Amino acid sequence: MESLVYVALFAPFVGSLFAGLFFARSPKTHLVGIVASGLLALSFIASLMLAIHVAEFGAVHVTLMDWINAGDLSIPFGFLVDEVSVTMMVVVTLVSTVVHIYSIGYMDHDKGYNRFFSYLSAFVFSMLILVMSDNFAGLFIGWEGVGVCSWLLIGFWYHKADRPFEENPSISPSWAANEAFIMNRVADLGMLVGIFLIYWNIGSLQYDVVFEALPNLKDGILVAIAIALFIGAMGKSAQFPLHTWLTDAMEGPTPVSALIHAATMVTAGVFLVIRANPLFSLDAVAGVSFFIASLGAFVAFYAASMALSARDIKRIVALSTLSQLGYMFAAAGLGAYWIALFHLAAHAFFKALLFLGAGNVMHAMDDELDIFKMGGMKKVMRGSYIYMGIASVALAGLPFFAGFYSKDAIIETAFNDGSFIIWGILVITAGMTAFYSFRQVFFTFHGDERYKALGFHPHDMYKYVLVAMAPLAALAISFGWFMEDFREFITRNLPDYEMSHHTHHWAWLLGLLVIILAVTGIVIAYKKYAGTGKEAWKRDEVFEQSFIYRLVANQYYVPKFYDEFIVKPYTIASEKFWAIDKAVVDGSVDLIAKAFYKSGDVSRGMQNGNLSSYLNWMGAGALLLVVAAAISAFIG
Amino acid sequence: MDNILSILIFFPAIAGMLGFVVDKNSAKAYGVSVAAIELLLSLWLWVLYDGANAGMQFSEFIPVISEFGIAYNVGVDGISIFIVIMASLMTLLGMISLDSDLKKMKNMIISLLFLEMTMVGVFLSLDAILFYIFWELSLVPMLYIIGAWGGPTRVYAAVKFFLYTFAGSLIMLVGLLAMAYLFQVESGIWSFNLLDWYTLKLTDNEQFWLFLAFFAGFAIKVPMFPFHTWLPHAHGQAPTIGSVILAAVLLKMGTYGFVRFSLPILPDASVEFTPFIMALSLIMVVYTAMVAFAQKDMKQVIAYSSVSHMGIIMIGVFAMNAEGLGGSVFLMLSHGIVSGALFFLVGVIYERTGTKYMSEFGGLATVMPVYATIFGVMLMASVGLPLTIGFVGEFLVLLGFYKVSVIGTIIAGSTIIIGSIYMLALFKKSFFGPVTNEKNYGLKDLNSKELTVLIPLVLLVVWLGVYPKPVLGPIDNSVKALLVQMEDHAQSESTKEAIIVSKKEVK
Amino acid sequence: MEIGIGHYLILSGLLFSIGFVGVLRRKNLLMLFFATEVMLNAVNVAFAAIGNYYGDLSGQMFAFFVIAVAASEVAVGLGLLIVLYKKYGSLDLDVIATMKG
Repeated sequence: MESLVYVALFAPFVGSLFAGLFFARSPKTHLVGIVASGLLALSFIASLMLAIHVAEFGAVHVTLMDWINAGDLSIPFGFLVDEVSVTMMVVVTLVSTVVHIYSIGYMDHDKGYNRFFSYLSAFVFSMLILVMSDNFAGLFIGWEGVGVCSWLLIGFWYHKADRPFEENPSISPSWAANEAFIMNRVADLGMLVGIFLIYWNIGSLQYDVVFEALPNLKDGILVAIAIALFIGAMGKSAQFPLHTWLTDAMEGPTPVSALIHAATMVTAGVFLVIRANPLFSLDAVAGVSFFIASLGAFVAFYAASMALSARDIKRIVALSTLSQLGYMFAAAGLGAYWIALFHLAAHAFFKALLFLGAGNVMHAMDDELDIFKMGGMKKVMRGSYIYMGIASVALAGLPFFAGFYSKDAIIETAFNDGSFIIWGILVITAGMTAFYSFRQVFFTFHGDERYKALGFHPHDMYKYVLVAMAPLAALAISFGWFMEDFREFITRNLPDYEMSHHTHHWAWLLGLLVIILAVTGIVIAYKKYAGTGKEAWKRDEVFEQSFIYRLVANQYYVPKFYDEFIVKPYTIASEKFWAIDKAVVDGSVDLIAKAFYKSGDVSRGMQNGNLSSYLNWMGAGALLLVVAAAISAFIG
Repeated sequence: MDNILSILIFFPAIAGMLGFVVDKNSAKAYGVSVAAIELLLSLWLWVLYDGANAGMQFSEFIPVISEFGIAYNVGVDGISIFIVIMASLMTLLGMISLDSDLKKMKNMIISLLFLEMTMVGVFLSLDAILFYIFWELSLVPMLYIIGAWGGPTRVYAAVKFFLYTFAGSLIMLVGLLAMAYLFQVESGIWSFNLLDWYTLKLTDNEQFWLFLAFFAGFAIKVPMFPFHTWLPHAHGQAPTIGSVILAAVLLKMGTYGFVRFSLPILPDASVEFTPFIMALSLIMVVYTAMVAFAQKDMKQVIAYSSVSHMGIIMIGVFAMNAEGLGGSVFLMLSHGIVSGALFFLVGVIYERTGTKYMSEFGGLATVMPVYATIFGVMLMASVGLPLTIGFVGEFLVLLGFYKVSVIGTIIAGSTIIIGSIYMLALFKKSFFGPVTNEKNYGLKDLNSKELTVLIPLVLLVVWLGVYPKPVLGPIDNSVKALLVQMEDHAQSESTKEAIIVSKKEVK
Repeated sequence: MEIGIGHYLILSGLLFSIGFVGVLRRKNLLMLFFATEVMLNAVNVAFAAIGNYYGDLSGQMFAFFVIAVAASEVAVGLGLLIVLYKKYGSLDLDVIATMKG
């Protein structure tokens, strides 16, 4: 089994090196895409076999070699394949494989084709390190590794110029990449502090040792560790207030958005909370856990509200990702770790599908993102229409689709926990989710064919790309049917979450409420946006001027706030410090030098070559000496 | 090879002497081969070195002025060996990187060889006077390199560099002499042997003043805030090779001095001064990183980032535990390699365009992809990405320092944020976006000479990031021994408490 | 009134002061020479007087030494002065100041 672990882990790495080392400078070749995808598929098969193995025989734990040994610290490269990590591995490698194949078609015309596959495979490698590591330092390697790959991939089209904020809220790919990296680093500092806390209080970073020692620690330290780790999770999973980078990250190529900024990397924070469940489920940190759940519910609503008015097809999906991450945190915070993980997996499938569908639309529309310019495209893009439809139904949580089971379970959890505020928010958000996701579908595929007037000639994606997306579609439909099997599998490692009888009693009504809200949302969206001819949607200029609309459309002015109160002051302070450095710090050094120079310059006057004045100076000196001698004699 | 250390020290000097008779046209080839032999010798030293032994090895002791206990006394341990190897590596790469049309090539080669002697000498000396001699001698070739091959205000920069550091080291000399005097008073014999000094127990008051005297010499060299202003001038004016050696090796002499002198000789004062050093270092980390962000000149960004990283090394030294101290010794190496490489990289673009201003660039990634890639790797190492060399040291230092101060760690840890701010800003301004300057369309990517210089550094960055054990192991051993020695030597209980000796056994 | 050591020392002091003022104030090189001679002789007086006071001959011995040295110095010095005068046509110090810093 050990070799399978290494195959699963290193196959993407080999793919990345293959593309990066041998083909970095050669012209685009499909060989790179095919080899990288093949290796990813290999990794997926290995993960699947590992999953079967884990299901039968339990976890596999391997140690590759030592990494850092200093003082009492010892960190190995160790990998733990248990129920939790193998679930992540299967999800990650499956979505990655599909995205790789998709990219062969999507990046077909791009000059950086080979480079793209090198980055994308490197990302999968980092992500696998993140989920497979058996200690916090290894997790941090993957954590930073995915950060860098995300930086590279968001900034993939680095050659694009900056545009003003009003024209493009993300300014430019390179700007968005830097923003994502730096904002993540803010959170990473929290994570580092958490690691330090763990090390100095427990003396090890290995999961098993740490989780065993946790109950012996003081409450204060536990709370500090939980907060620090969660700050780390907030950055990667783009939770408020570190969320602005995620929508800007949409500057990257769409397969990247699908893989990194929807299915895998952004769920790393949720994964961390699930992984550290022995910590977060302790009574001492109940406050932190409840905060996580509350923040999750808040973000779910907050992001959904922004998605209501967004016009950019990718931003809508990104905001819905943000919102769904909020759901996951809500579940994890309430102690329903396995439900969070279930939603994570289901979300990965339907959200990746949604993104790839959006990618097809963009590809057809020459990278146009504004849904106001689309409409009625179901005729020309049948395949994509079906896929996006399925994904949206799953996202909206209609019965028998994946999202229904997982999201409903989360909402039920909130009810069961007695956190009715969280429950209420999540229910309302579910209705909003249905509305905005179908708003997008109707805007794009129904209604008048607005694109015609603008001179677009859309056509659907290559056949093989559409075929490659099929597994995701299948899972978006059916994944929920395996909920009980999944539960049985995963709760061997994660704590089970039992609904009370009371909740069971009400479950059907709760589910019905959510469905009614979702259907209402869809119907409203249909009425408003799907009509053609006379019924067609028209822009409501008055409403667009209203305060609420502008507030939401401007992302609650949070980016503006950051720019105004963090970026600008920082820049000004830096300039000021530089001025101080030159004038005061360096100036005072120069002042000393100048003092010497000046004193020399002044006393140079003594050396005027006139013997008479020399004698005078000598006399004065002699006199001074006599006086000094007299004084010292007098004192002595 | 009992006297391999002497060979290491004097081989470059003798070769430098012989360099005067070498033909002008073959000067570079001569220099490269001498430096290559020196590197091989230092690697051979590593092969012979017993990593499990924490003490001094290959020691040589030849009395010079026995009445005053001054001797030619050299030795190597885990703390110094890798810095020596890095010094010889950087000299070799520097030689290779020299432009073959350089004016007065012969003088440059000879200066570099003498500089190499002094650098190696400083790190191997176990006698205070010998140490001081090499310490001061290192100024001379550097002064010449900056003054002769530098930019427009090179004389100002060179003189500032010389006088500033010289002033500090004179105060240090007073401290060294006072130390020897105190040793004589205590034991009745004169000795400048460091290992003898380690056994001397001094009163608090004596330690206080000696610490200040040493501090003057070392802190200016590091350079610690607020004594850092000579560095941007020196870097700004120095030729590429000068900046590389300065950042990679010469600055490390300061932090090495703290590790070799201040900590073990004056443990009580070191602990007492920790808050003071910590305050200066934290200011240094944050403040200079912000100043780096404000720079317009690429080279100045890296110069200020150097100062900022040296702050991290300083807090590691004063963490007083094996994690922090070992991490900071490792960080000395990694900073040497990474900042050296970054200066090489800036030199590449400066050679092509004659400017270092970021506003002149933009979109370089399109024109020079290989260059951008290597720059990107070094950038990531500089911001401390795991699996690059930069992470290991930084992580260990912050981890160790956490034991000293939590708030301090958070402030120092902000280096991972503000460090990435200025570095990514630099990268974005110079490499991303469209090509804004017409002139830059014709730029050539790295040539084979530059690749020869940079590829080994890239490999080192990755290798030591993934598998630091061969280097970290010996460092860890010697650092633990140093801490044990410090604890034995410390007098007050509070000092003993502050020093955390590793629980694992030290050989 | 008997003339004692005090009187000699006062005389010596006065002579020395006269010479000192001369050294400081005069600009003519020749006059400077005279002034230094006066100072030397002031010291001679003091030597002789103090030697006599202690009944020790070394004071007077030193006075002779000083006279001898002064004589040779004047010999050389005057020679130099003549050369200087030939070169500059003056012995005024303001005129022959060449080593300006």
